[in-house]
Amino acid sequence: MQTMKRLLAATAILAASVVAGIPVQAQQPFAAVGAQPPITILVNSSPWYAGFEKAVELYEKQTGNKVKLDVTPYGGMLEKARNAVRGARSPYDLINLDTQWTIEFYEGGFLSPLKDVDAAFDLPKEVLSYGDSGYWNADKRWRTPQGGKLMAWPPNGNVLLYVYREDLLKAAGIAPPKTWEDVLASCAKLQDPGKMYGMVMRGERGNGIRFDWMYFMLGKGATVVRDPAAGDYTVTINSPQARAALDLYLDVAKRCGPPNAGALGQGDLIQLISTGKAAQGMVVSAAWSNFDDANKSAVVGKIAAVAVPQPAGGKPAALLGNWNMAIPKNIPDAQKQAAIAFSRWFLTSGAQRVYAEAGAIPVREDTFRSDLAQNPKFRWMPAYLEMQKYATQELGYAEGAQVEQILGLRLNQALIGELSSGKALNLAAKEIEELFKKSGRRTGALPPLPE
Amino acid sequence: MSAGTSALPLVGRDRIIGYGLMVVAVLCVVGPFAWILMSSFKHQIAILTGAWSFTPTWSNYAEVLFGRRSDFVGNVRNSAVVASVSTVLVLVVGTLAAYSLHRFRWARWVTTGFLGWTLIFHMIPALTLVGPWYIAFRELGWYDTLGGLILTHVTMNLPMTVWLMMAFFSEIPPEIEEAARVDGCSPLEAFRYVALPLAVPGLIAAGILAFIFSWNEFSIALNLTARDTATVPVAIARFAQQYEVQHSQMAAAAVISTIPALLLMALGQRFIVRGLTLGSVK
Amino acid sequence: MHILNRWFKHWSLLPAVLLFLLLTIYPMANLVRMSVSTITFAGGAAHWAWTPLANLQLLTNDAVLGAAALNTAIFVVVAVAIEMALGLALALLVARLSRGKGLARTVMVLPILVPAVAIGSMWKLMYNYDFGVFNQALTAIGFGPVNWLGSTSVALLAVILVDIWHWTPFVFLILFAAVEGVPTDVIEAARIDGATPRQITWRIIIPLLKPALAVALIFRSILAFKTFDEVFLLTSGGPGTSTELVSLHLYKVFFEQNQLGYGAMLSLAIIIAIVAFLLVSRRALTLRAMA
Repeated sequence: MQTMKRLLAATAILAASVVAGIPVQAQQPFAAVGAQPPITILVNSSPWYAGFEKAVELYEKQTGNKVKLDVTPYGGMLEKARNAVRGARSPYDLINLDTQWTIEFYEGGFLSPLKDVDAAFDLPKEVLSYGDSGYWNADKRWRTPQGGKLMAWPPNGNVLLYVYREDLLKAAGIAPPKTWEDVLASCAKLQDPGKMYGMVMRGERGNGIRFDWMYFMLGKGATVVRDPAAGDYTVTINSPQARAALDLYLDVAKRCGPPNAGALGQGDLIQLISTGKAAQGMVVSAAWSNFDDANKSAVVGKIAAVAVPQPAGGKPAALLGNWNMAIPKNIPDAQKQAAIAFSRWFLTSGAQRVYAEAGAIPVREDTFRSDLAQNPKFRWMPAYLEMQKYATQELGYAEGAQVEQILGLRLNQALIGELSSGKALNLAAKEIEELFKKSGRRTGALPPLPE
Repeated sequence: MSAGTSALPLVGRDRIIGYGLMVVAVLCVVGPFAWILMSSFKHQIAILTGAWSFTPTWSNYAEVLFGRRSDFVGNVRNSAVVASVSTVLVLVVGTLAAYSLHRFRWARWVTTGFLGWTLIFHMIPALTLVGPWYIAFRELGWYDTLGGLILTHVTMNLPMTVWLMMAFFSEIPPEIEEAARVDGCSPLEAFRYVALPLAVPGLIAAGILAFIFSWNEFSIALNLTARDTATVPVAIARFAQQYEVQHSQMAAAAVISTIPALLLMALGQRFIVRGLTLGSVK
Repeated sequence: MHILNRWFKHWSLLPAVLLFLLLTIYPMANLVRMSVSTITFAGGAAHWAWTPLANLQLLTNDAVLGAAALNTAIFVVVAVAIEMALGLALALLVARLSRGKGLARTVMVLPILVPAVAIGSMWKLMYNYDFGVFNQALTAIGFGPVNWLGSTSVALLAVILVDIWHWTPFVFLILFAAVEGVPTDVIEAARIDGATPRQITWRIIIPLLKPALAVALIFRSILAFKTFDEVFLLTSGGPGTSTELVSLHLYKVFFEQNQLGYGAMLSLAIIIAIVAFLLVSRRALTLRAMA
């Protein structure tokens, strides 16, 4: 009966819009998905969770379908997701995966390709591509829509934004920097150790320094490996360009950052900027909401965002840290259908708008270009969209986590002065090549840099 | 028979120094906790700037307790059940085992084998333990149940309880129990009315530790529970997000979680003291 | 009652043995099996390959493991030694005070009662270079700020300090209970014989505490070897490798890199290290007791 009623309702809407002569798409911001069994979603607690929950509530109200959310600390997500897919039957019908974890789940065959569940399912063309992290080409072992299957859709995507104190820069007569050389010049005026740091970025061992440094690396045109998409895993991390990128990073850290640059994580950056101790910083887009919240920030309304600078003569670059919603293989088909139904609904413009208004970062370009962007609250949106143009995925191979740990350590050692930049990159290159050899990749190395 | 060093009180100058040292120790211990308490009344920005003067707010507590997304009361209830029941069980099972190993003549391989195994088990990192448990518990239907979690916590705390209780039993001079046996006590009566009352301080210490370890246990609870069975540490970890920590709410949650724990421990102590010293043979 | 009495020796041990058989054999066997395998996942299932030597070789070639082992050794020895000494001193002291015992026991519980994740993030704030309470205090009394977590020479010390604050209460609780359990007439007899309080403490009470001291030492050492939350939240092993501990390294290998086989081998290596440590420390203690 329930299904019947919904079908009728949907038909009525359809008929009405046809009669009115308006294209169905524009008229209907939400998808009609029919009655579905209840689903459970494994989702992380995050700054955007409130928005996600709002959207889910609306879905329940609109469709009458039930959605249970298992909100899990970030530190427990991977473990719970692994347990779910490795067991006999997953307790979750949708699991949310950090982009770096996806390869393990794709390659392990733990997920249902979305078109296998519903051949008609596709990402709406307005949804940002996020470096195609949702596609998996099993033959090439690479995330790409070329010959790849759609495995996941993005509920959230982060890039780094370059944020700065509008008031301070104006007072000092500094224009928002376009290159890292501009940044260095601005630090000469702004840096006042103990009182004000010119520019802060992550230097913490591990993901922190690896991720932030890669903006410099990509900007200088350097790569970790030559052409992993084509299967060429020759290690190129100790190229002269990579060294120039590291030297530039170190220079910025030393001349703009605090004495504990080598211990700074994202939380420390947010702290330094929102307390007014740092004039500029490279922070994750998710942090934005903090700066305008008077309970969390001493600089409400004073922060502006632009695209992250590039090296003079280099190229613009951005790195993605997005999430991916996927359907485990080990659940009954009716559950998979219900999960697809929610997915389809969630990616509609209507849902994305609700999602964004409740404080989340939407994933549809039209949401970014809508009247929302006029709202000062969303003044970061242009910078975000700008970054999306060059945004890429890095370390998109099975060895990614290990490469990150190698780079994360060696770069950090260069930052704290334990290694020269040449030595750090040579060491990293040697260790990464060793790693690829062991896993049977076609690999090789560049001649070592002078140390 | 009484116990304790009250027979050796500090007097005169030593007494003053003694209290002085204790005050210093208490301050060192309480300092960081007081800092957490203070943080729980601050907005995040006041925590981040390390401010000493601030307008206190209840909003963190309100958010933790009554926030639309929060089920902290439920989490505390789960933790209270899991920690209390698992503590009672581990004390019963562990004390019996400890007494058995301590008092009776077991073959050497039994004692060494059992105690060695408990120690080795205690050394296994939780990380490598949880995966197999998850798989087994899914099969048995124990996943997402408080009973399943209680069972793992009893197992986890059993090594320490057994070892501790053995240490406390060995403090009791054997002559006392022998005298009771001569007076016609059965082994069970000697255990219940002689050894157990004398081991009360040990039972309290072992109970407190087992309770706290269960109350704070994160990895197992994370993996074996879902929304309705999640415990306090899992809920508190949610305030540590991918990019930053919501310090103010975390502080409030940490403070809230200590209160029922302290109450339960106080009740438990009273229960042990009353229940076991009653009818003991002195 | 008769049956209960007759089989008391046996049934009293039975529940513990059953529980262990039920819940520990499988994970333990699984761990050993993993340690001699390479596990890969394909088609939604795990594939096990028998590679005992490969995992051992990884153990010897691990670039970070050396630093981690050294840091762990320093961490365990320094932290546990200080915690044992402080815990014992406090237990002896508090037991001899006529008032405030209950208060002391309640207060001492606080550090172990707060969830580790809260402790880690709060101490991180307190150690903060620009805003932390320690640097506020140091600056107030005229010293420069200390780079607590960002300097390779201080970071491990900072982590040890948190551990001492966190875990001394554990030692205290055990030893305080043990002191409370010392029979009064033993002490009174010694006093009648004319022993001074110092002699009673060193010659009578502390020897009686030996079993409790041993248990506190054993379990504190094991927990110290397994220390993870504090260092994970405070430094993630950095800067450089200055606070890398084996437990953290294991987390990275087993969990983040998903190298289950090598991770299991590493956990077995850690277990062997702990056993060796316990044997050596027992040896050292008995030798000292004899001297």
